[in-house]
Amino acid sequence: MGYRVGVDIGGTFADFCVLDEASGALSTLKVLTTPGEPGREVVAGIGEIEKRFGIAPGAIGYFTHGTTVGINAVIQRKGVRLCLITTERFVDVLEVARLKMPDPYHLFSSRPQPLVTRDRVIPVRERILADGSIDLPIEEASAREALEKARALGAEGIVISLLHSYRNAAHERQIKAWFAEWAPGLPVFCSSDVWPIIREYERTSTAVIHGYVQPLVAKYLASLQASLKRAGVGAEAMVTKSNGGVMSAELGKVACVQMLLSGTAAGVIGAGFVARQAGCDHVMSLDIGGTSADMAIIVDGSPSYGTGETVGEFPIFIPTVSVTSIGEGGGSIARVDGYGRLIVGPESAGSVPGPACYGRGGTRPTVTDAFAACGLIGHGALGYGAVTVDVGKARTAVATLAEPLGRTVEAAAEGVIRVAISGMFKEVSKLASRQGVDPRDFTLLAFGGAGPMVGCWLARELGMRQVLIPTAPGVLSALGGLIADIKNDFIETSYAVLEPASLPELRAAYERLAARATKWVAEEQKFDGTPTLLPSADMRYRGQSFEIEVPLQLDWIREGDIARIAAAFHAEHERLYGHSDTKAPVQTISLRMVVVGAAPQPEFPAQPRADGDPVPAGRITAYLDGAAGEVPLYRRTDLRHGHRFASPCVIVQEDTTTCVPAGFSGTVDAYGNLLLTLDREAV
Amino acid sequence: MQIDPVTLQILHNHAQAAADSMAYTLFRTAHSTFVKETEDFTSGLTTPDGMTFASPRELGATWFIGLDYGNAIRMIKDYRPGDVCITNDPYSGYVCTHPPDLHMWKPIFWEGEIVAFAVGHIHNTDIGGAVPASLSRALTEVHQEGIRIPPAKIIREGVMDETLLQVMLTNVRMPEQNWGDLKAQIASMTTGERKVHEMIRKFGVETFRQGVKDLLDLGERQARALIASIPDGDYFFADYLDEDAPGGVPVRLALNLQIRGDEAILDFSGSDPQLQSSLNVPTGGAERHILLMVGYNYCLYTLDPTMPLNGGITRPARCIVPEGTILNPKFPAAVGMRSMTCTRLQGVIMGAFQNALPDRLPAGPSGGGAIMNVKTTDNRTGRLLMASIDPVVGGAGGSALGDGTDGSGANNSFLKNTPVEINEVEVPIRILSYGLVPDSGGPGLHRGGLATFLEFRVASPNTVVTARNRDRTRFCSWGADGGKPGNNSSFTRNFDRNDPVDLANTDVVNLDPGDSMRITAGGAGGWGDPTERDPAKVLFDVQQGKVFLESAEREYGVVIRDGAVDAEATAARRAAMRAAPRPTGRFQYNAARVEYEKLWTAANYDALTGLLQRLPVHWRYFVKRRVFERIDRMPAAERRGDGSEVRRAFHVVVGEFPELAPLFAEAAD
Repeated sequence: MGYRVGVDIGGTFADFCVLDEASGALSTLKVLTTPGEPGREVVAGIGEIEKRFGIAPGAIGYFTHGTTVGINAVIQRKGVRLCLITTERFVDVLEVARLKMPDPYHLFSSRPQPLVTRDRVIPVRERILADGSIDLPIEEASAREALEKARALGAEGIVISLLHSYRNAAHERQIKAWFAEWAPGLPVFCSSDVWPIIREYERTSTAVIHGYVQPLVAKYLASLQASLKRAGVGAEAMVTKSNGGVMSAELGKVACVQMLLSGTAAGVIGAGFVARQAGCDHVMSLDIGGTSADMAIIVDGSPSYGTGETVGEFPIFIPTVSVTSIGEGGGSIARVDGYGRLIVGPESAGSVPGPACYGRGGTRPTVTDAFAACGLIGHGALGYGAVTVDVGKARTAVATLAEPLGRTVEAAAEGVIRVAISGMFKEVSKLASRQGVDPRDFTLLAFGGAGPMVGCWLARELGMRQVLIPTAPGVLSALGGLIADIKNDFIETSYAVLEPASLPELRAAYERLAARATKWVAEEQKFDGTPTLLPSADMRYRGQSFEIEVPLQLDWIREGDIARIAAAFHAEHERLYGHSDTKAPVQTISLRMVVVGAAPQPEFPAQPRADGDPVPAGRITAYLDGAAGEVPLYRRTDLRHGHRFASPCVIVQEDTTTCVPAGFSGTVDAYGNLLLTLDREAV
Repeated sequence: MQIDPVTLQILHNHAQAAADSMAYTLFRTAHSTFVKETEDFTSGLTTPDGMTFASPRELGATWFIGLDYGNAIRMIKDYRPGDVCITNDPYSGYVCTHPPDLHMWKPIFWEGEIVAFAVGHIHNTDIGGAVPASLSRALTEVHQEGIRIPPAKIIREGVMDETLLQVMLTNVRMPEQNWGDLKAQIASMTTGERKVHEMIRKFGVETFRQGVKDLLDLGERQARALIASIPDGDYFFADYLDEDAPGGVPVRLALNLQIRGDEAILDFSGSDPQLQSSLNVPTGGAERHILLMVGYNYCLYTLDPTMPLNGGITRPARCIVPEGTILNPKFPAAVGMRSMTCTRLQGVIMGAFQNALPDRLPAGPSGGGAIMNVKTTDNRTGRLLMASIDPVVGGAGGSALGDGTDGSGANNSFLKNTPVEINEVEVPIRILSYGLVPDSGGPGLHRGGLATFLEFRVASPNTVVTARNRDRTRFCSWGADGGKPGNNSSFTRNFDRNDPVDLANTDVVNLDPGDSMRITAGGAGGWGDPTERDPAKVLFDVQQGKVFLESAEREYGVVIRDGAVDAEATAARRAAMRAAPRPTGRFQYNAARVEYEKLWTAANYDALTGLLQRLPVHWRYFVKRRVFERIDRMPAAERRGDGSEVRRAFHVVVGEFPELAPLFAEAAD
């Protein structure tokens, strides 16, 4: 038995979670990130773990982490200089994208400049048709000409994305092979390798983002592997993935597109774990940090997945834990405009200078300052002593709103909170309508540095009856990485009508997928248990232009049970859209296989039941629901299994503050999670 | 008594959430691919009077912010909880503006009183009538454009009127789709009702009522403040559709925008009489009809993006649209293709506002492409299929703030394309090329956006290609403040053979197997003097293939040798260009328009529209065409451009028809 360590690197802090496999005990800590020198914070944290908890690096048997090197390269546009090779006469795939502008009401609305500008898009003479047949074979001369041009343009990497390569990748592979021969060492990526989906913009955009960050991410991972080794960590490093799983860092060097959104995904995996632990089957997770507020839907411990999530300004189409941004987080700036309106966000104070109350040079009032001015936070250091809250500075900042609003500082601060909450309410309502769910059937699981601060307000606004606050809300992403399974996705385009004639090919395709998946998990990931194979298909009625992913079962495919496969589609269509048509022909567009190598799930020991009532550490004056009053202040460590407490109250712990306005009753479960239930009459 | 600003902002977010939720519900549950692909639908909430106070932001068409449902609402007496009403008749209150749009409204009650209406529309792929999809420029009266349902209750107190439903479904070509989409619309209404009830429970009914008024007032206040910041004055702008019918004469849309303090008058009186084709825009002459205000909404929101998108922002404006004109046609004028006119009208309004605020709004947007449909047979299966393959659009005009966006932008921002790979899998055609049209943007200090193009080949006999909204083969987008116009659009059959056919503005073509098509939209206009554009930017445009090498030298005066700017030659070329006589005036039009307006001067148009307005409506189009023929035949020496030749021609025409003369004399009295 040893220790498992999970690390999540955010904008300000790197969060560490350490699990003692023998006892199930979990320890956490945060260190400041070192954006200028990524990886250094990891080594610093390993040292800190030894110092604080006496765990030697050699005792770490499993190490996983999520990195922001890739996503930062996209956001800051600091990736490598790429050339893109396309089919002749189709060079504008990135420029034209899907035409629609982000804000169609605005005459100046625009798309971001592509990561590969048009001068670096190079056509080759070739053409593959929709059925995969070759209409115009690729010739060496055309490829050679393209390479010469790319070299002249100073290409540091090349992405090849040709029409219909999802169906026949021969030309992409041929060009890549020639380039490997003619220009050894030049990174070359095929869109059919990165993620072979139909739709040229989506496939190309994904491949370009991959090529843009891959050399940087690979370099970073190599240096991290070396640092860990030097630090004495023997375990092979793992990295978290956007699909909520993990893979080896070695593989991450070539599959880096799969890790770009791993930070938010790992948080949702951590939330899923807590939801299962607390016995909540319908959960909306709310992850709020300094600059972001994200929500995900988790049913029976499993998150929903989607494609088309955004990396910086660009969509990426690989399977990703579906997370929806519902605002800009605790750093959102509040202002009163020329019409007397109180507006919160989208401008954010970010992590630098941050909220005024952090005393790092911020002066404009933020949501976090509003909570401080109401007396709700600032009763203990945040982020393990890394930040202290200066209530005076918060009040000074909020006072600039009080005058134009004709309110007291406290009332203005509460206005900021309410407006910020209503903005999140708007976004969650949209998410719910899009997914066809009712938030009132869900528990709100609040985490991140600021989630527990606003969770109860948002739940009240949405009519959600329960709020769940995990034991360590500030490090849930790190925990998520630690418990995530080894996981990978495989896809083939099918584009067939679901009927007996197409069955042999369907079966063969799934056999190919299964073989690739099993090989990957056993050979590339050295997983020695029995992997789980989860087949699914993207299906639609003929004539529809969009697909839905339908989970299937292996034996339906083996037995050729078309009726069961179709029935699963009709049922999913009915669930999502409220209607289905069992007589209409059904098409399979893409076939998918997910392989999972289950990670050992920690079993946290149940705490002994505590008797009596929890004892507040003190009483504070807080401004809530229009009036100032005394409310109890609890230390999280004093709230034990079985304790009950009333609201309003404030609960402090090392990584966050939980604010509970009136109307909630709190209990503590066997694992230390807080369950806050909204009283019926308070809705 | 206003509610406090903090509560108002919260209520604003809740109202927005309600409208967005309605749109997502509709989008999620709609059946037709058309709704999912084009997002040609709206949803929203109105006051009990019918004024929209909440509209979705992310989904749906952008045209109906501030649509007034009042006329249709008032045609139904005695609302009960659970009722749902519909109409798709353009001439019953002018809420619906062409028959494929099925509008719907549902009263939302609270304690026995109507507190709001949930509203919305879906553009049905087909609503019956003379042609599949119900739309064709060639249609001449609304009766040919599909079944029309005047405002009626389709659901009474929760019970569907099966008779009405069956009448509608019996008359359309794809009844299952219409029925599926209708159900989605009903689901959207129900969501709206539930959300309003939740709001009332949260805020209280009085705060809700007052808050809705305040939201509209807030929109009005913001719009007024914005208009007050525009210098008082008259700002004129006119533009044309190439043809008023297949092979016809131009259609003029003219606006005199009068800014007076915090109010705006949009006087469209200089626009053409109503047409014998389906390009008419039915507004009933309403002062703030939404189809007249779309461009206004775009401009206001662009100038202040914090503007709430509700009916309040239209209050400071008033439109003047005389009856019997293209913007206020009399029944039973056909209206199906009004979107083509509306799109150009948006550009006219943008032009007038640009005239008022040259530094804050863009030059002319791209236009003239088309929404492409193919009807063909799959040679392998024998299956006949019809599919929308792509919208062919273009970018935004340049502005003081920078280059126009390429490919799409400005008022061409809400449509999505179809991937080449999906088109080739779904439709038995071969896409030959798709992308940006090089060198199509108007030169300028800030370049106009490029257009897109599409080339394809068909494979079976009797293939029909429709290109809805084809225009701009004659006239072009306009440049501003020294910037130049963008390129023309084009539509060519067998463009890659030695017998190409220029189809100009044709919008329906029958093709043989092996035939190829190329369609391009027109480029957008440039802004500012192109000889002042940073040579490095011109070089980058050339490197990117967005501007041709020759154009860099000819239009921008930038001489590029061996891939680098030749500074000396550039300085010399630019000096020569600046010394040469150059066109003056705020706007620059293409050569065809300059030529046309030598003949059809502003004075000639004033004379013509003035005289035509004195004729009975059913004579106007006829007389207009006769006058055009006479002017065309007139020797150049007789033309003065001061209106006199038009008056002469007009009187000759009136004299030719003894039936008309007394009617004209009567009007003159």
